Amino acid sequence: MKATLALTRYQLALLVRSQRWLAPLLLYVGLLAVGVRAGQPVLDSLGLAAAALLPVAAWLVRGCVTAEPTAARHCAAAAAGAWRVHLAGVTAGAVMALLFGCTGAGVVAWLSAPRSTDGSAAVPLLPAVAAGLCGVLACVLTGAAVGALGNRPLIRSRGYAVCATLLGSVAALALGASPANAAVTGLVHGSTRGEVQVPWLALLAAVVVAGLAALAACVAAARRG
Amino acid sequence: MRLENVGRRYRAGGPWVLRGVNLDLRAGTLLRVEGGNGTGKSTLLRLMAGIDAPSAGRVRARPRTRGYVPERFPAALPLTALGYLTHLGRVRGLGKRAAAEEGAAWLERFGAGQYAATRMRELSKGSAQKVAVAQALVGSPGLLVLDEAWTGLDQHARTVLDTVVRGRVASGATVAFVDHDPARLAGAPDLTVRVAPGGLVTAAEPVEGVRRPAMTRIEALGAPGAGAPEGLPGSARPRLAPNGELALTVPEADSDAALRALLAARPGWHIRSVRPLGEREGDSA
Repeated sequence: MKATLALTRYQLALLVRSQRWLAPLLLYVGLLAVGVRAGQPVLDSLGLAAAALLPVAAWLVRGCVTAEPTAARHCAAAAAGAWRVHLAGVTAGAVMALLFGCTGAGVVAWLSAPRSTDGSAAVPLLPAVAAGLCGVLACVLTGAAVGALGNRPLIRSRGYAVCATLLGSVAALALGASPANAAVTGLVHGSTRGEVQVPWLALLAAVVVAGLAALAACVAAARRG
Repeated sequence: MRLENVGRRYRAGGPWVLRGVNLDLRAGTLLRVEGGNGTGKSTLLRLMAGIDAPSAGRVRARPRTRGYVPERFPAALPLTALGYLTHLGRVRGLGKRAAAEEGAAWLERFGAGQYAATRMRELSKGSAQKVAVAQALVGSPGLLVLDEAWTGLDQHARTVLDTVVRGRVASGATVAFVDHDPARLAGAPDLTVRVAPGGLVTAAEPVEGVRRPAMTRIEALGAPGAGAPEGLPGSARPRLAPNGELALTVPEADSDAALRALLAARPGWHIRSVRPLGEREGDSA
């Protein structure tokens, strides 16, 4: 655990200093700038802030698991085991995405109006933000799962990996079976009806999905660092 | 650590890069791996270091802390040399300050102390290699794997690395290395193996002396000014203090003979303690 924490700190340092976070951040800011307007219903905007985070999280995870040159990765793998190095990369990407998401949700909640979609019902702001953060976390986890499955070591070729990450992100947002889709839909439906639904079930499913995806990627990393 | 019937191939049904490798490496073994280009030397080292997993067989009892020096270390990391070493030290369980201090000390020892605050990508190839060597040594890992680590180092750093490797082996670490120079650490390896095309690994030297024997430390007290006792086994290394205190380091197999010699000697020796030497104690032996 200690080694994994130290590795995650190392991966975060690499991410921050390599500026691989900058492009995903611009994407996130761009999506929010296009989709969110001041005075719009809060749950709708939070749903968008969560959904926009999914491809961003997948991109950040890709940035982290491909950050180190092979030789440096081998050095870290010898020190702590290849699976821990990989787990730390996925975790670092998810942590950064979560940071974006929490900030984004905060800004969105501040800009939006605490009303239902048709403006008829008041939506309590604090529970709405709590539900929004749950959605953010569900989307970060699902995005991290996409990033973990769509990149090294499971998909080694850069072209295929980028395609898999992109298509995987779209699929994870669009398909009804995806926890991210369920979480965002829950927020938007809540907005229509003017009541806050915290997407617990979607969050739980996202935890399971992210855990399984990370497990698969880490097992593959341990097979061939 | 033991490699039991270890094999490696990079895809199912593909050719074996290594197969049927059996190695039994005690703590304190220095292993040299030889073989032509592309025979699987690096693969063997990566399997030992735990970077790769074997496709067949098992690696057992691998030391808990491991260090690996790759043959090329492209330093395209957005960290300073010392920052990188500190992170790696913390991964091996050191505290932040201890990791930084140890990292700085290794850089200093290899003559790269002035680059501690330099970004890795600005380092010359040789300096980057020094950082690569230093990261493997921070935290004193019990297994050190060197894949042509000397290549790219200047003469001073090569000599330092030779000394460090001997020191790590003496203090009970297992060290495996590949180097182009056949004279590298000449005489020091306990075992030399050769990787043949097709992945078979054979001992390149007679198996005698494969294992560095486990050592026993005997402490005894004799008359002040007494000389070393007669009849000690030739393998015993006595260290005698003027006040008559004797510290005797002897291979475990010869410890009984050494004790007999001490007890039979006149004037007699009083045995104070007999204990097996731990991993870290060989340095002072």
